[in-house]
Amino acid sequence: MGSFNDTPGAAPVSLPQWLRLQAQWHGPDVALRHKHLGIWQVQTWAQVADEVGRLAAGLQAHGFAAGATLAILSRPRPQALLAALAAQWLGGVASLFDPLQPGAEQRPLLAALQPEFVLAEGLEEVQRLHVAQLAPKVLIYLDRRGLSASEAFVEALDYAALLAYHPVDEPGLQGPAQHTAFVFYREVAQAIEEQRLSHAELLREGQRLVEREALGRQEEALAARAFASAGQARYLLAPWLIAGFRLNFPENLATRDRDRRELGPTLVAGTRETYTRLHGYALERLPLPGSWARRLVDWALTAPSGLLQRHLGHWLVRRPLLDVLGFSRTRAPLLVGDALAPETQAFFERLGINVRHWSDSAHWEIRVQPVKTITDDWTGRQSQLA
Amino acid sequence: MTQTAATHLLELNNISLSFKGVKAITDISFRVTEGEICALIGPNGAGKSSLLNVISGVYQAQEGHIRFDRHQRRRQRAHDAAVQGIARTFQNIALFKGMSVLDNVLTGRNLKRRSSWIEQALGIGRARAEDDRQREAAERVIEFLHLQPWRDVPVGKLPYGLQKRVELARALAAEPRLLLLDEPMAGMNAEEKQQMSRFIVDINRELGTTVVLIEHDIGVVMGISDHVVVLDYGRKIGDGSPEAVRQDPEVISAYLGTRH
Repeated sequence: MGSFNDTPGAAPVSLPQWLRLQAQWHGPDVALRHKHLGIWQVQTWAQVADEVGRLAAGLQAHGFAAGATLAILSRPRPQALLAALAAQWLGGVASLFDPLQPGAEQRPLLAALQPEFVLAEGLEEVQRLHVAQLAPKVLIYLDRRGLSASEAFVEALDYAALLAYHPVDEPGLQGPAQHTAFVFYREVAQAIEEQRLSHAELLREGQRLVEREALGRQEEALAARAFASAGQARYLLAPWLIAGFRLNFPENLATRDRDRRELGPTLVAGTRETYTRLHGYALERLPLPGSWARRLVDWALTAPSGLLQRHLGHWLVRRPLLDVLGFSRTRAPLLVGDALAPETQAFFERLGINVRHWSDSAHWEIRVQPVKTITDDWTGRQSQLA
Repeated sequence: MTQTAATHLLELNNISLSFKGVKAITDISFRVTEGEICALIGPNGAGKSSLLNVISGVYQAQEGHIRFDRHQRRRQRAHDAAVQGIARTFQNIALFKGMSVLDNVLTGRNLKRRSSWIEQALGIGRARAEDDRQREAAERVIEFLHLQPWRDVPVGKLPYGLQKRVELARALAAEPRLLLLDEPMAGMNAEEKQQMSRFIVDINRELGTTVVLIEHDIGVVMGISDHVVVLDYGRKIGDGSPEAVRQDPEVISAYLGTRH
């Protein structure tokens, strides 16, 4: 299959090629927003593509090449997403690790994998690498706070410094679209399992979601997780690049529900934990059982039997509750992964939110290759994480 | 850290203070090197808070003088101390309870404003652009101390540990060269103390702010301080590194009680 670059007019076959296309078509439009210092900071498609190109050049200058893997430990931040795209821009693979996973569970995984290229958000993540006795060839950090006292800091690279490079103009993927874009790892019964997602699979799934949910450029989505699961990559990252909507990052994990309320996203790609947390948040704020206010809420949340109940219930209870939860504008509430508990599903249905389940059809395989051995991948080069 | 004259940010020389004839502080002298964390320790009534009040200009010493940066003085108003770059927190939280976290932090920026009160009241001239700058500076402090989730919450509704952090934020918003912390961890549980210790160390290392703090938790003091001054009955009985103070027989008998 020819690459997008080689064949003008052909459909993009990789995530970076979609990014490039969006930058060409909709360069001045907003692609990303990140709440920082209390304000939603904006990046256009052109700026995102430029930053990814610069990062790719920076990575390339430090030895990252096609087939290599960039391990990423970060909370939801635009930089983590752009670094993943930069690795893919060079024909590499992004491997995402959940920074919220308990260190004791993640340590053996990191120790066994020994990634050579790592992006760590800050001190906590660098310490996690240190405890796992990792000595990556290239360590990039996002937040330098507290790192100056760390031994690993001496040779670490500042993400901002990588942006000084002249951008790599075109996504370098030259091989077929079946090449891996993301790889996820987990440890099960002393064995390491891996899940590989190809560009083709991500784009196919993303396209399916865009079509079925009729997603367009007017959508607002909130990325409250760092794409540390395959479902997030499938149902948020790929649709973002294909449909060209706005992807919003919360200020931090502690503010994500507040930021969702402020933003009112039209697309929510949440997990069971997301909806359960929001359900609990709503229940905590309901009036005390037995009070007249609670009876009003219960009346409004039962299936409306008449015009009065439908309208009064909407204006007095359902609409304010939707505002509090940040679902007032949501038209594509998606559930990725495990199904909701029946009471949570019922609660959202009573609010008029019909949560659609998109299964995270994870295909995990036991990683048979010994750690740090050479494997023949599509480029014929060595990969750092098998 | 070597204590050379060139690097001393604060120097107390023979400071004495009394209230209606009762001596609170007697002939205390010590130096605080720029960039260090200095802990004042001692039993209740040793004169620690009084000494902090003298440094910050709340009390005026009857004898001795203080040298801060290049300015030597015996008497100084609290306002002048703040202008020179000294900020502080209080043993008992002194915040505007009905105001939000952000508004409380913004009050710490008052001395950084250049527009007149008329410009501020009418929102004209320099005031509007200045508002943006002050807001950004306050937001940076809020981010530094991880207070974003409570930015718009009235301070009175926050738990005690968070209120202490907001008070620290307000002091930090003044961009002080010397930060005086009066029992910043009083009443906190172990986890909150650990978090607050981390913030104090970060303020010192990342922002380069010199810190003088009063703390009763010896574990915390020994863990984060570069320099410890021990007071007892208004007199200095120890002064040195945490290790040296820990070995000092007078300190052990007067304050620590037993050799550990």
